[in-house]
Amino acid sequence: MRKKILLVEDEKNLCLLYKEELKEAGYSVTAVLDAESALERIKKESFDLIITDIRMPGKNGIDLITQIMALRKDVPIIINTAYQSYKHDFMTWAADAYVVKSSSMSELKAKIKELIG
Amino acid sequence: MIERYQFLLREFHQETSKELQIFSIIAQSFFQPFSLIDNLLVILTALTAGPGVGFNRAMLFLAAGDKLKGEFWLGPGSADEAASIWRVLSTPGIGYLEIIAHNKSFLSSEADTLTKRIKSISYPLGEASPMIPALAAVSREIILVKDAWHEPLVDRRFQETLGADEFVCIPLLAEQEVLGEIILDNAITKLPIKNRDIELASICGLIAGNYIYTSRLQRRLVDMKRAAAIGEMAMFVTHQLRNPIVTVGGFADQLLDPKIPEAKKKRNIQIIRNEIREMERILLRLGQFLRVQVKEQVAVDVRELFKLVTEAVSSKVADKAVLVKTEVEDGLATISCDPLHVGESLRNLVDNALDALGPAGQIRLSARRDSEDWAVISVQDDGPGIPSLVKGKIFEAFVSTKEQGMGLGLPYVKRVVDACGGRIEVESEEGKGTTFRLYFKAKPREREIPR
Repeated sequence: MRKKILLVEDEKNLCLLYKEELKEAGYSVTAVLDAESALERIKKESFDLIITDIRMPGKNGIDLITQIMALRKDVPIIINTAYQSYKHDFMTWAADAYVVKSSSMSELKAKIKELIG
Repeated sequence: MIERYQFLLREFHQETSKELQIFSIIAQSFFQPFSLIDNLLVILTALTAGPGVGFNRAMLFLAAGDKLKGEFWLGPGSADEAASIWRVLSTPGIGYLEIIAHNKSFLSSEADTLTKRIKSISYPLGEASPMIPALAAVSREIILVKDAWHEPLVDRRFQETLGADEFVCIPLLAEQEVLGEIILDNAITKLPIKNRDIELASICGLIAGNYIYTSRLQRRLVDMKRAAAIGEMAMFVTHQLRNPIVTVGGFADQLLDPKIPEAKKKRNIQIIRNEIREMERILLRLGQFLRVQVKEQVAVDVRELFKLVTEAVSSKVADKAVLVKTEVEDGLATISCDPLHVGESLRNLVDNALDALGPAGQIRLSARRDSEDWAVISVQDDGPGIPSLVKGKIFEAFVSTKEQGMGLGLPYVKRVVDACGGRIEVESEEGKGTTFRLYFKAKPREREIPR
């Protein structure tokens, strides 16, 4: 059975790209454009991995991580952002990996493989 | 009953002592937008401002890193020169402006051979047993040297340059730092240096030390602010451009796959083209923001300004059930500003209000006189208000609540209003609406300039 990934990314084209690439790599991908919708999905169904951007309209990715932790959901999280600097934010340590966005998705794919196979 | 006095005195009471006048001139110089060196020159000139009080010549050393370096040397080269300089400086009513002007012309004239001679002199501050003059700075003490030619502690090269038999060294200190040193002598009049002169010099030394320290802190602050702004901008550009670059790169990679279906190939090319347009838009807007330069200010009819703004937003207004009302008080004729940029700013504010309002609401664009010389233009909406989280930061660049926003609109408006000599205020309450108030210099109707 394919592993289920929840992708939280507000840039529509980027979202499409990730979705295609991760499907190609053998995962089942659910994509949402903001943190609120992500929380709704997480409450309803279970995922093997969550990939989230940080800077998004509305709730940001760090708020999302905090709320996922509050829900006591034991799910690995990868932060995927355009910024290096959020690494200094204490809450990003709660994530299992921190990947800076890159058009070569090898690092992201490698982290996914490491975390959920 | 009250009496008012000016800080910037130009003429002093007869009984005011020369020393008090000197301190007044020094204090006044700090109110002027002069450079560090200009203000230090005022202090040195004040110390050498006449034959009756203070000294004949003053030399300034400034600390640069771990060295004490000769900066300039002020004073007449001969008795004739001294007479002519002191005649100028003892003119009744002479103030800081004349002193600055005099010093500038003096330092740039050929007579300024003294400064050239000390520019090449420097002493290390970390030395274990420093010679005079560095000794005063290192030991943080005022040192009076008599019979200088026979004093073994005086550096010979310095003594040969100075040539005076008696001089006093005043260190310039602030907190725990050595900032420089002033050396004073009476080489022309050959008068002995009195205790009273040293007292005067020591106070000037304290003022100068503090002044150097403050201006260094100020410069550091400006540098830090600039660095922070550059950092913020670099981070912003990185983020804004990284998303489209990653998208372009990712979809381009897919194109390299020889098995890619024709439809997907076309779609990818389309996405790549759109993303590149997006990047161009980002760079264009950033460039526009960085290049804001307000041109000459002219008297602008507020009614015409409002007309242009409402026309510019009319198509956006037509899409919604929004009412835009304009009101101009009768007494108000013109405001002083750059019409192009102020028009664009008002358009920005109305645009923001339209975005905030959603499908329906009201925007009021009004102008009235605020006082004799000032007018206020208000842009008011009854929208949801500015979220309290970003309220304090709305005029900072790159802060936006809009998904596609670059956060350059309000910083642009503020830059324009500031450049026109006005100011901007905002009042906003969540759920009740937002009012921006722009203050400009104004003219009442009766004095209207024919257009």
